[in-house]
Amino acid sequence: MAPVAEPQSKRTATLLRLFAWLWALVLLGCVLGLAWLVRDGLPVDTRLTAMLPEDHQSPLIEQANVQLGRGFEDRFVLLLSSPNLKADTQALARALGDAGKHEGQDTPLLAKIDWRDTDLIDSDPRQALGRYRYRLLTPELQQIIDQDGGESLIEPALRNLFSLTGQPDPVADPFGLLARWIDARDESPVQARNGLLTVTLQGSPHALLIGDLAGSPYDIGAQQAMTRTLKDFEQDHPQVTLLRSGLIFHAAAGARQAQREITTIGLGAFIGLVTILLLVFRSPRVLAQMMLPLASGLLLALPVTLLLFGQLHLMTLAFGASLIGIAIDYALHLQCDRAVHGRDFRLGRLLPGLTLGLVSSLLAYLAQTLTPMPGLRQMAAFAALGLLGAWLSVVLWLPRMRLPSPAATRRLAEGLWRWTTPRRGLTPSIALVGLLICSAVIGWQLTSDDSLRLLNPSPETLLDQERQVQQALGSDTGNRYLLVTATDEAALLSRLATLGDTLGDWIDEGLPLRITNLADSVPPPSVQQESLARVKRLYGQPLEALVQQAGLDDKVVERARTRLEGAPVLDVTTWLDSPLGNSQRRLWLGEPESEPEAQESVRVAAALLVQFTGEDGQASALEQRLTALAGHDDDIIYVNRVARIGELLGQLRKNIVWWVAAAVVALSLLLIWRYGRDTWRVLTPPLGALLGTLTLFALIGIPLNVFSQLGLLLVLGIGLDAGIFSVEHGRRASTWLAISLSTLTSLLAFGLLTFSATPALHYLGLSCLIGLAMVWCLVPWVRPNREHF
Amino acid sequence: MRIKGKSLRHALVLLLLLSGPALAFELDDLQDRLNQTEALKGRFEQQRYLADLDTRLKSTGHFLYERDARMVWVLETPIADRLVFTAENAPDDADRDSAAGAGNDRQRQQVGTLLLQLLQGDWQGLQERFTLDVTGTDDAWQVTLEPKAKALRQRFTRIELKGADYLDDVALHAANEDVLRVRFFDQQPFDPAATEAVDGTSR
Repeated sequence: MAPVAEPQSKRTATLLRLFAWLWALVLLGCVLGLAWLVRDGLPVDTRLTAMLPEDHQSPLIEQANVQLGRGFEDRFVLLLSSPNLKADTQALARALGDAGKHEGQDTPLLAKIDWRDTDLIDSDPRQALGRYRYRLLTPELQQIIDQDGGESLIEPALRNLFSLTGQPDPVADPFGLLARWIDARDESPVQARNGLLTVTLQGSPHALLIGDLAGSPYDIGAQQAMTRTLKDFEQDHPQVTLLRSGLIFHAAAGARQAQREITTIGLGAFIGLVTILLLVFRSPRVLAQMMLPLASGLLLALPVTLLLFGQLHLMTLAFGASLIGIAIDYALHLQCDRAVHGRDFRLGRLLPGLTLGLVSSLLAYLAQTLTPMPGLRQMAAFAALGLLGAWLSVVLWLPRMRLPSPAATRRLAEGLWRWTTPRRGLTPSIALVGLLICSAVIGWQLTSDDSLRLLNPSPETLLDQERQVQQALGSDTGNRYLLVTATDEAALLSRLATLGDTLGDWIDEGLPLRITNLADSVPPPSVQQESLARVKRLYGQPLEALVQQAGLDDKVVERARTRLEGAPVLDVTTWLDSPLGNSQRRLWLGEPESEPEAQESVRVAAALLVQFTGEDGQASALEQRLTALAGHDDDIIYVNRVARIGELLGQLRKNIVWWVAAAVVALSLLLIWRYGRDTWRVLTPPLGALLGTLTLFALIGIPLNVFSQLGLLLVLGIGLDAGIFSVEHGRRASTWLAISLSTLTSLLAFGLLTFSATPALHYLGLSCLIGLAMVWCLVPWVRPNREHF
Repeated sequence: MRIKGKSLRHALVLLLLLSGPALAFELDDLQDRLNQTEALKGRFEQQRYLADLDTRLKSTGHFLYERDARMVWVLETPIADRLVFTAENAPDDADRDSAAGAGNDRQRQQVGTLLLQLLQGDWQGLQERFTLDVTGTDDAWQVTLEPKAKALRQRFTRIELKGADYLDDVALHAANEDVLRVRFFDQQPFDPAATEAVDGTSR
């Protein structure tokens, strides 16, 4: 570098000192801001679903998804089996009811818990539906009346009049039509037994406890209280087995695992880092100086991210720990250069490389802030801010601090150089051949996997319990449904009824399905009209015979017949407002909130839930049939929520590819402007590592997913840093030492995530592990034979 | 009468110990007494009052009860009907044609459980759902049960029990003023093992 004229250098120095002070002031402001923001504790969000993209494609589907998912979050279900069912259930209910009340908290864990057989009794459904009963006939009754006019209904009606358990009402409903209708609606497998609510699972009775949380299932305090209460209970009652179902258990398991991994993996990475730096630089003071940029990066990132997003996602914090690995790059390059060159050190010489390194990493991160996943945006913003903060500290502060330059560091740098420098370099043509071979293998063999499983960190045992509970309760989480629209309610109900018939035929064919159809509860008006005609027939001779055989007054016949006059048609609103219909509210979308000009003809919409009860292997055949069924009709859309989220993840993955490709092209132009014909040497380590990792994945058969792709994004960032520095200062042992240390520390920070039990982090770690190792291997082969400038 | 002598002796004891609290007839006493009966059979007369029609529907039949096991309830007139409530409270509907007799399974179970609890004086179980009020003496006691839960109160307002050695009379007052009254008579204990074949499974 040419010596700079004295006065200019002085002015630059003054300016730099001013900036250094300004940066210190900014950080001071950050400290104060952070203290103010976390005065009530750090607002941490542990939801993994916050990572999920929002579905902006169809407002109607989005509305249906929100509505179908509602009510599940705060609720949990426990199934208890024990030789002493009653006493143990009582004890558990008491323990849960008391949870959170002592321990100095005034908020209890639960808002409500139902477990007694009287807990689920609603107000009498017959009151709300009484007037409509003459238009509501179960298919079975319709068939009986069509066959014999209702003769065979006389005997059960008589029995109902005299039986101990009957609830006769000879005027309003001599044949007990409503009771049958209501019974047919009630598909709940829950039974009252010995004062408890029970369900039968694998032939044995289990007590059912349904709890409503007082707070959010993501509240860590609530999760801990719940975990502790159940653990204590299980310890005190070893004879009891508990099956858990509910978001809080999954959220608690996820949070526990994330915390555990932050402490083990995060701490492991940190200890490894400190050990390596001490070994290389032989000075605790250097170590402190290396940590300074990291600390200031975090100090900038924490308050600003909190300010931007309101709260911190746990994943952001986990990622923040990993930030250590990449932010230390700048400090490493600076320190290595200083340690090796001592008094000859000049910041100006390193500045272009440092700046380009920062720009390339920022580009890689900022590409992530363009994704529609809120959690990911936050992580990217956090990382970008951290990098910027660290870079500023490195450039403004570190050169002012004095530093020993131990001979050991110099010897190490030279040893490493000698040991790892290949005799010959790579030529562009060989690189091109490699690129073509890798591309061919990738194009031919690489598969991808966008399933939602990646986001689900729940342990297998918990998922299994969840399945068992769902199976015992026959509950449907509303994953698969047909979204049906029509111009008015009558048309919608007819359409739903027709669909229900088709699906009913499928079930008769042996397809393992369970459907929840609003039209089963509210028959279309035309069907209700036919039912009334049947009831009129039943109220002819059969009614007279019944009254006569029971020895009731003849007036009863007339009084009963007058009731049929003016029997109203049951509409959806009335049904949904009734105690029985309440649970079906989520099916009804009423008048969709979507913009009116978009679909003029749509007035009402409803969801028909389709639950698949068979083996997973058969599901794809069902998928195809349902898609085909919906394909025939523009007013029917088939939605599979899980598959849809997978689809969105896939879209996200492809979007990232294009954004990153664009970023790389833009960056290449910048690199060509500075490095000219040597640009390929800069690009080979990052792109070569990227292609190499993908080729390896393709050959081993590991499918690419959005998280391994995010890992590759990091490989790209770190690889670019390495490429840039290796070309900037190709023949310097200090630079090679810095690059080696940088890849090693990043390997520690990111590669260790391979051992995470959370699939998302595991894949991110795996691609970093392989990719970073490749970056390190490639750099020596593409070093230029001379200094760049 | 079979129990007359015993009653006299009781009356004498009562006169001797005429101090209020000690005399109070307690639920525990009643439970002890009813629990002494291992098995019981007898006849019943059932009368259902329909308030709306101001009509009474009468029926008669016999019953058989084994403590902690089951209750067989056989209606003879005016129609034949047979219900079995087991302690596991799953009604055995073998005699019923399921298509025509469907409906109200849940309700039937609940009534069956209630009846078993009433007959064996399972006050602990009943107290979870009802407030209990005991009056009378050892030989003529009355228990009134009122449902605690609002949902139950919407269906029936109270249950009145009367009895002496056994439960003799049950009246269930529905919220719509219908009343179901069951009178038990000719009640006698029996050995369930010996009589199993006679009534329990012969039908």
